[in-house]
Amino acid sequence: MKPTITDQKETGVASVDFENQTNLLLRGIAVSGGVAIGQSVVIERLTTEIAPRWLIALDEVPHEVQRFETAVHEAAERLKAIKSQIDAHHPLEDHAYILDTHILLLKDRMFYEGTKKYIASELVNAEWAVSETIARITVAFDTIEDEYLKERARDIHFVGERVLRILMGIASHTKIHQLPPNSIIVAHDLSPADTAQIKRDNVVGFAIDMGGKTSHTAIMARSLKIPAVTGLENLNRRAQTGDTIILDGSTGIVILNPDPETIFRYRGLRDVFRKYQDSLMTFGRLPAVTRDGRRSVRIMANVEFIDEIEIAVNHGSEGIGLFRTEYLFLGRKDLPSEAEQYEAYSRVLSYHKPNPVTIRTLDVGGDKIAANLNVPHESNPALGLRAIRLCLSRKDLFKTQLRAVLRASVHGNCRMLIPMISCLSELLATKEMIEEVKSELRAAGVAFDPSMKLGLLVEVPSAVAIADLLAKEVDFFSIGTNDLIQYALAIDRVNEQVNYLYDTLHPAVLRLIRHVASVGQARGISVAMCGEMAGDPVNVPILLGLGLDELSMHALAIPMVKKLIRSISMDECLDLTRQAFEMQDAREIHGFLERWIRDRFPHDYFVETPGASA
Amino acid sequence: MMNRGEIQERILTVGNQLGLHARVATMMVQAMSNYSSQVTVIKDGVEVDARSVLGLLLLAATPGSQIVVRAQGPDSVQAIEAICKLVERNETDHN
Repeated sequence: MKPTITDQKETGVASVDFENQTNLLLRGIAVSGGVAIGQSVVIERLTTEIAPRWLIALDEVPHEVQRFETAVHEAAERLKAIKSQIDAHHPLEDHAYILDTHILLLKDRMFYEGTKKYIASELVNAEWAVSETIARITVAFDTIEDEYLKERARDIHFVGERVLRILMGIASHTKIHQLPPNSIIVAHDLSPADTAQIKRDNVVGFAIDMGGKTSHTAIMARSLKIPAVTGLENLNRRAQTGDTIILDGSTGIVILNPDPETIFRYRGLRDVFRKYQDSLMTFGRLPAVTRDGRRSVRIMANVEFIDEIEIAVNHGSEGIGLFRTEYLFLGRKDLPSEAEQYEAYSRVLSYHKPNPVTIRTLDVGGDKIAANLNVPHESNPALGLRAIRLCLSRKDLFKTQLRAVLRASVHGNCRMLIPMISCLSELLATKEMIEEVKSELRAAGVAFDPSMKLGLLVEVPSAVAIADLLAKEVDFFSIGTNDLIQYALAIDRVNEQVNYLYDTLHPAVLRLIRHVASVGQARGISVAMCGEMAGDPVNVPILLGLGLDELSMHALAIPMVKKLIRSISMDECLDLTRQAFEMQDAREIHGFLERWIRDRFPHDYFVETPGASA
Repeated sequence: MMNRGEIQERILTVGNQLGLHARVATMMVQAMSNYSSQVTVIKDGVEVDARSVLGLLLLAATPGSQIVVRAQGPDSVQAIEAICKLVERNETDHN
């Protein structure tokens, strides 16, 4: 990406003074939101390209190998020392594993043995062998398509550099743990070890030449909530330590040596962003009512592990719209006992009381859980014996779960959600089993909530088509968009060959949702959505326009979605929905909704969706 | 009891949101230090040492992809079990 100078309209930068290089504008990749204004600290970094090369005699090989081994040992010791400085309360504690990764990479056979072999076969010095081995490994990573995994080539690069620095006797670069206040780190690249040593109180931003959204610096910056821009190509060579820099981690814009007017403008923007972040958490505690008061939506959280409940409550969830029970079953040889399940469900229910907790019954294929289920191999598991089909065929397993849920139901506001129903008889068989368990509990004098609500997870297209028949038998619908979209569009979204066709806003998907919502309204049962679709602000106006009653999402998305709902009117939602239904394809609809939300909330929407992909 | 020389194999589906990424690979290599069996991981015909972070990353095993874990040695069953636990859990990594 070349630095570009654009006009005032686009960037708000008044003018460019080439003589003094003021207001030099660079564009990079926005990786961690927020505006930073500070003084640059340029981190000089050796690159492996300048490793010296000389030939050695055959009898010098052992000595050269020894030099390499000693350097690796020293590098490992230094990394361990850095790691030991990160205590359990450090905000980067969660990322400390990457230092372990680097320690392991030092002794990884591809690098460690590879370098030694190179010394012996090519009769070259250790420095050159290291740099060539790293280059070979980097080439292998180039062929990977996945962006995150491709980025990991940087990790072996950092490790190689560390060894090279030791071999060449170069002292570590600028002491980054001694930084003046208000520092913006400017670097060609920053290793996780570097980032871990930064005294973060003094750092207000990162401007990095290399890397993308999934580089470790980007990941760490996001978790430290420090604005960051990567992919700047050559800022490292243009900036000098002490230069004033403006960095907008939401747009990817970096301005070197800004004039006072530009600084003034960005100070305003920085304050807006800070206020916005502070206000978001406040919004979490408020109800999601449209600006005109016409519509109120219950905002709930999807929870996968029991430990996530607290985060959900902190972010303002008004219940759990989807409590996945799979984690109780996975990664073990036996099946979870009734007592164990009862304990887990009771905990969630009492924690959230009196808010509803929607417990979804087991939603996996038989191949995924305990080997003793003896499920035959399936060539097409997505269309096979899974979820309710597995439960109905393995009544012992299902009854244990039903008993546990029913017994736990006395501890809060419990709802049960049945996944993957594709026809009425399946639903009736399920209800029959629930009644059977209820009468057993009654006979044994065990308490349960007789008014526990039963819901159907609408995720198979046939269930959408017969929603009117199914509605008579349940208390609520919950639309599971992740699977519904896969089944309706016939696209496996983890299949890289076809997942470009996976479109949340496909006109067919919107029509399916509209149908379920209208059946729910006609039959007087509530309709929820618990797929990822519900947590993306772009989709929210249309979901309100279609009349959904509850939206369940990743906990971190709740404050933003609540804020959005409180800022829009029902007229706007209905109008957007009507227009979207006149459009031809997903791209058109997505572009339209995104433009609308960006124009309507220019200061808000630059916040990336938390909890979305890394 | 299992014959010592017998090769154990298991097919796994990668569960993590990011695939077989740096953290999981690191944990796998660390876990393997507890076992003496020879353990490899195979994807699309490429076989790598389960004790090499680089090898594991280069498999480019994205979420939902299938890998085969192969182990030979006195504790091959336990080694495979340890890898299963790391690879199949569908932990949401918010990084």
